[in-house]
Amino acid sequence: MQKLADLLISKVTVLQSIPADFVYLAVQLVFALVMLMAFVAPFAGIVSWVERRVAARMMDRVGPNRVGPQGFFQWIADGIKSILKEDIVPTAADPILFRLAPYLVFAGMFAAFVTIPFSSGLIIADLNVGIFYLIAITSIVVVGILMSGWASNNKYSLLGGMRSAAQIVSYEIPAGLAILVVVFLTGSLSIQDIIKGQGAYPWQWYIFDNPFMPIAFVSLFISSLAEGNRTPFDIPEAESELVSGYSTEYSGMRFVFFYFEEWANIYLIAAVGTALFLGGWQIPPAVKAWATGLGGAASVILPHALEFVTFFLKALVIVFVIIWIRWTLPRIRVDQLMALCWKYLTPFGFVASMGVAVWMVLFPQGVPVVRYALCGAALAVLLYFFYRVAYQVWYSRQPVHVNPFV
Amino acid sequence: MLLNMGPQHPSTHGVIRFVVKTDGEVMSAAVPDVGYLHRSIEKIAEKATYNGFMPWTDRVDYLAAMNCNVAYAMAVEKLAGIEITRRAEYLRVIAMELNRIISHLLAVGSLGMDIGAYTPFVHALREREKVNDLIEELCGQRLTYNYARVGGVIYDMTPNWDKKVIAFMDQFEPLLNEFDRLLTGNKILHKRLGAVGVVTAEEAANYNLVGPNLRGSGVKWDLRKDMPYSVYPELDFQIPVGTGEAGKLGDCFDRYMVRIHEMRESVKILRQCFERIPAGEHQVKVPKKIRPPAGDVYVRNESTRGDLGVYLVSDGSDKAYRVKFRTGSFTAMSIIEKVSRGMMVADLIAFIASLDIVAPEIDR
Amino acid sequence: MTYFRNIVETATSVFEGMSITFAHLFRKPVTIQYPDKMAVPLTETLPDRFRGFLKVDMEICTACLACMNDCPIDCIVIKTKKDESSPTKERVLTQFDIDEAKCMYCGLCTEPCPTGAIHFTKEFERATEDINDLVFKFVPEGQVIVPYKAPKKEGAGDAASEDATDTTEEAADA
Repeated sequence: MQKLADLLISKVTVLQSIPADFVYLAVQLVFALVMLMAFVAPFAGIVSWVERRVAARMMDRVGPNRVGPQGFFQWIADGIKSILKEDIVPTAADPILFRLAPYLVFAGMFAAFVTIPFSSGLIIADLNVGIFYLIAITSIVVVGILMSGWASNNKYSLLGGMRSAAQIVSYEIPAGLAILVVVFLTGSLSIQDIIKGQGAYPWQWYIFDNPFMPIAFVSLFISSLAEGNRTPFDIPEAESELVSGYSTEYSGMRFVFFYFEEWANIYLIAAVGTALFLGGWQIPPAVKAWATGLGGAASVILPHALEFVTFFLKALVIVFVIIWIRWTLPRIRVDQLMALCWKYLTPFGFVASMGVAVWMVLFPQGVPVVRYALCGAALAVLLYFFYRVAYQVWYSRQPVHVNPFV
Repeated sequence: MLLNMGPQHPSTHGVIRFVVKTDGEVMSAAVPDVGYLHRSIEKIAEKATYNGFMPWTDRVDYLAAMNCNVAYAMAVEKLAGIEITRRAEYLRVIAMELNRIISHLLAVGSLGMDIGAYTPFVHALREREKVNDLIEELCGQRLTYNYARVGGVIYDMTPNWDKKVIAFMDQFEPLLNEFDRLLTGNKILHKRLGAVGVVTAEEAANYNLVGPNLRGSGVKWDLRKDMPYSVYPELDFQIPVGTGEAGKLGDCFDRYMVRIHEMRESVKILRQCFERIPAGEHQVKVPKKIRPPAGDVYVRNESTRGDLGVYLVSDGSDKAYRVKFRTGSFTAMSIIEKVSRGMMVADLIAFIASLDIVAPEIDR
Repeated sequence: MTYFRNIVETATSVFEGMSITFAHLFRKPVTIQYPDKMAVPLTETLPDRFRGFLKVDMEICTACLACMNDCPIDCIVIKTKKDESSPTKERVLTQFDIDEAKCMYCGLCTEPCPTGAIHFTKEFERATEDINDLVFKFVPEGQVIVPYKAPKKEGAGDAASEDATDTTEEAADA
């Protein structure tokens, strides 16, 4: 970030007359604004389109394909439609809280993006308590959801809000435990430091650092799904049970805020998983050296661009997995949700954290063989998965059709 | 807290209302409130001619219209002493079993959707559409078939229709297995349905559950075997019953599994039917105005939702004096209040879906 | 043990389910993009017995009123009168309305028709803002149509003894 500002100062003479700190601050604020408006908002929209298309193909449907090429602008059309809709506040609702709730949800989600890195330099604020801040700030969402459930004056909304609060608060624990093991390894809460502790290649990632890390990763992934109210943990908005849960009474743009939060949250989950376990924005050192050696503006922009692409692609894979899980699994019941949290994830989280602690004492430098073995095991699972996919394709005796755009 | 579930609710399967008394998530009772879909079909029967009432029987249970058609036609035939041809019997059985497949597909699919699995539902509907197309080719309509007539069926098979059905079945069986691997084998489904909404065999008999709901409780009772009608005695098929594999005998999972197995049995029946179907007329000559002798008759037919009874009273005129339908969904409503005590709200949804309730069949 | 078996079973069944949904990405969607992106018009894919809107061929209608009498919901209205201007004072049709909005497409009217004049078409798209547009008037208002007379028997009004099977085939042929 500072480099970018320095570059800007060196190029634009007007900026040289003002103190550099102001320029840094201005650049940071502009970047924050650009990131939130130009990245998160369209991303949430595009993910909604991707989700619908992917879901449609999983169901042998086509999905939205009319607005723009392959229906790509569907999300813009939906957004415009939602803004133009009447903003209905039920008579019996608490008008102030009812109106306030979507903003809290929205704000909580956006504020979390502050510590999400995009590359080694592209981060709004590299807080030294980054991951800690992230856990804390996303909890504001709970307040908003609970508020919307209460203020709607609808029993279904109330049930949805209560479920959501119970769920998010409970799953903070396994999520926190899983994050804790990464903090053990790094010795820092800053997300950039965590990423810097890893390397570009899979065996340098934290997920394959020792046998307990995959457990922590899965545990974090499941807890994040639960915190994000995604299937199979979408019980707060379980359509078939609670109509639409806490967002039942909302319409128009306020309703979109809730869904916006959901889709932005997908990226948040994916970004946290990528940063903490999958090597973040790390690109091979040789590539980075080549890019920085180009000279001129390219040497500043290109490495960041490559890092951004790496990070983004990894995150996209997780986003796809999240979507994919949603359209595969049934929803679990609320008591099973709690059982999963307290009987399975939390113990395993403890096991993972203890295991990692012991591992770090025994092998302070890490064991490369274990890393390679874990990489190999992951690859084997992946290969077996593709074998199963091929088997399913063969078994169904249906013609194969690869083109994603029908 | 008094929660009003329905009449407009995504998972009440039609216009039914449940008054749910809950304490948070746990319910103390769910009282069904029926009658929102009453269309006085039984009264209409008294104003329509015997054949003219046939389209209304489609509307008794729109998911098993063929069974209602046939049950009503059987009642009139029994009363009027009409013998139909063997080909007509086979055509009726073929149509009814196809109907059973699509009804069960919707039942298991919507059960999946009610507990949150949307994709299996669409996969089930995809298969259902194929059968709908076949039935449309047979009788011209996808849902309200109006296929059976007093004295047979309205149309014979179109040329090559049997080959199309067999081709469908050949690709349906792998897809049903795939559906099994996708949804039935899923551990979350086992946990959601296993040991939930347990109806013991005794309770099921006392509350007069019929069809797959009764068989899910482990009672081997199927009218096709136990009170045979039409050509069912000649066909070889099994009666699947619940085994309690995911929890207790008579839970939601057993009822779900009974439906899955019954689809396979239907495929078996269909294959036999196409082998055995004799040539001949599909309709016998009946007078234009059917005037059965005065008297009454009760005919039972194993519909997809169980024992479908038609009670028909004739006073010798060309219109029925009284028609009464006895339907499986209506009897299934009575047990909800008992079983739902102490359930969670999410379980109630699964329980209702596993009973495969169709709202119009309750109210008629 | 149950504890670990639960975990293993959940993991394997989720794995299996996800491989199935992933495999579905390599299948051609089965849905068609009605109405605009169709390889062939939808009406061509419909089976011959499809029950669309009812249509009456007035050239072969005998005005026997069988369809009107058989309609369970009385959506067919036929009116005839003696044509005073004609020397033979024959019956003429003054009105033949079918309320397609009311019609439940059961097909009972097509069965007794002695000539197959009333039959189903494959047409079913008739969205309209006024429900009265769905009343099909087969006799233009103010005009009369002379019913078709079968060459052999006069006054085909009595269809009571008609063989049901024959009429069905006629209807299907038409």
